Amino acid sequence: MSSKKVILVTGGSGLVGHGIKAAMEREGQRSDEEWHFVSSKDADLKNRASTEALFAKIKPTHVIHLAALVGGLFRNLKYNLDIFRINSRINDNVLSTAHKHNVEKVVSCLSTCIFPDKTTYPIDETMVHDGPPHDSSFGYSYSKRMIDVQNKGYHIQHGCTFTSVIASNVFGPYDNFNCENGHVLPGLIRRAFDSKADGTPFVIWGTGSPRRQFIYSLDLGRLFLWIMREYKEVEPIILAADEESEISIKEAADLVIEAVGFKGEVIQDTSKPDGPLKKTTSNAKLRKYLPHFVFTPIKEAIKDTCDWYGANPDIVRK
Amino acid sequence: MSGKKIILVTGSSGLVGHGIRAAIEQEGQREDEEWHFVSSKDADLQDRASTEALFEKIKPTHVIHLAALVGGLFRNLDHNLDFFRINTQINDNVLSTSHRYDVKKVISCLSTCNFPNETKYPINETMLHCGPPHETNFGYSYAKRMIDVQNKGYHMQHGRMFTSVIPTSVFGPHDNFNLHDGHVLPGLIRRAFDSKADGTPFVIWGTGSPRRQFIYSLDLGRLFLWVMREYNEVTPLILSAEADHEISIKEAAELISEAVGYHGAVIQDTSKSDGQFKKTVSNDKMRKYLPDFKFTPFKQAIKETCDWYAANADKVRK
Repeated sequence: MSSKKVILVTGGSGLVGHGIKAAMEREGQRSDEEWHFVSSKDADLKNRASTEALFAKIKPTHVIHLAALVGGLFRNLKYNLDIFRINSRINDNVLSTAHKHNVEKVVSCLSTCIFPDKTTYPIDETMVHDGPPHDSSFGYSYSKRMIDVQNKGYHIQHGCTFTSVIASNVFGPYDNFNCENGHVLPGLIRRAFDSKADGTPFVIWGTGSPRRQFIYSLDLGRLFLWIMREYKEVEPIILAADEESEISIKEAADLVIEAVGFKGEVIQDTSKPDGPLKKTTSNAKLRKYLPHFVFTPIKEAIKDTCDWYGANPDIVRK
Repeated sequence: MSGKKIILVTGSSGLVGHGIRAAIEQEGQREDEEWHFVSSKDADLQDRASTEALFEKIKPTHVIHLAALVGGLFRNLDHNLDFFRINTQINDNVLSTSHRYDVKKVISCLSTCNFPNETKYPINETMLHCGPPHETNFGYSYAKRMIDVQNKGYHMQHGRMFTSVIPTSVFGPHDNFNLHDGHVLPGLIRRAFDSKADGTPFVIWGTGSPRRQFIYSLDLGRLFLWVMREYNEVTPLILSAEADHEISIKEAAELISEAVGYHGAVIQDTSKSDGQFKKTVSNDKMRKYLPDFKFTPFKQAIKETCDWYAANADKVRK
């Protein structure tokens, strides 16, 4: 029987952190797990001394490292340098301090946007470093890729189990619903609610044909729990829904409209670019480990998210 | 007429730094150039305050950034993490302090071993990020690649002219002739001299088959002067002799035996690792700028290096 785990979750106040909290709430607190969700209020991870103080106080055995300076498309374009440097600093502080404190496992969070821009589909875990990432967010992407490089380095040099997951198109409560963000589902939800409120048409950008795999933050949280407890590889693992459950942007929009109860006019703005028709990421590695994992049906997940949005206007991040 | 240049060369006590000095000596000091060759004695570039103090003292207009934790094949294998972290720290300190001090141009020094391990030949500058580097030195290589990422970031965010060169295998006086840490040519020279001195056979590590383009440090120095004065692209520039001037390790060993005056047995130790088999790089971009640049003939460069070694037994780094 393994001993008590003390789990530190950095960047715990965001979408993914709340997904992990939701997963824990659903399955019930385990007696051998003590959880600490921290955010920038608790420590400045860009600062080494602050990071060390946090680790000295909490003495984690496990770390789920979600903290990062993220930014939507527009923010990234100009500030790639800052995003690279700041995230590199945060990551170095967290990984090196975790090593110093003999943390048994660190699970960092990467994203499919860090994969090479020019690529074949489906994307899989072996392809992370096979070409430059999309130009618009190269700073963010390279800083995340360097987590994988260091995970390997810590393992070879010190035998650490520092690993990472790669998630994409996550949605759920506590997301960032700012429209310039570039993330499609929260954007649709925000615009549906705005249109409902002020009687303007609901606009879908592009043709609506591109198909995407979305993952509900609760499901991502459930998977994070499994990774933290059971996954022992240093190589990253993609956490994505099955290819068969991909839906088109139009289908997603229809589900949002239904969930929000929007009954006005729906327009397609085909002057906006579509992006690739498919950006399928392979979850074959995940399915090898968890063949029976059942994802929340997307209709239900979108409904839950819209209900949360409707009930929490004061805390919704815009 | 442009104003006076104050050029700071970091890591200047090594092979490449001496090559630059040799080039300046060969062409004669220019009036509008004030050179400062520094090393770890002058500042600890891993430390931000020390780096700032150096820049404050010298106030450079130009920086040639050579300082790095380097090592041959066998050293890198064990310590990839350290190579990544320490070099990343040094590079961040130098680039960000250069930005702060309004340095007009920074030229960093990458290496052809930073290119992807699985690749087509000849390699050119656009391929730097197109796949993982060779396993044995991934830490060093990713740290160097991130210089190119930051050069782009500094240019996009601040309009800086921070750039880099990518030389092939350099050799010459003042190299590191340590058998464990050093690179292939100095290793061969050292062992040839040792064998001559103590009558033991001269051993070539590996099969001797790998082929390399070598560049004499004096020629690299001459090219660095041109890059510092005239090259105005942010993307890297390969500095190498022509592809058809590649030679095998075995051929190099034979030329060294001749230069050293060693006439004993030459043995191959095939139990030792070869490293990458081929690293043919294209110097097309360089030749576009410098169609008439003449490299020192290889045989002459080897002779000069061996003569230096023999004449400086007390100074040779072993």
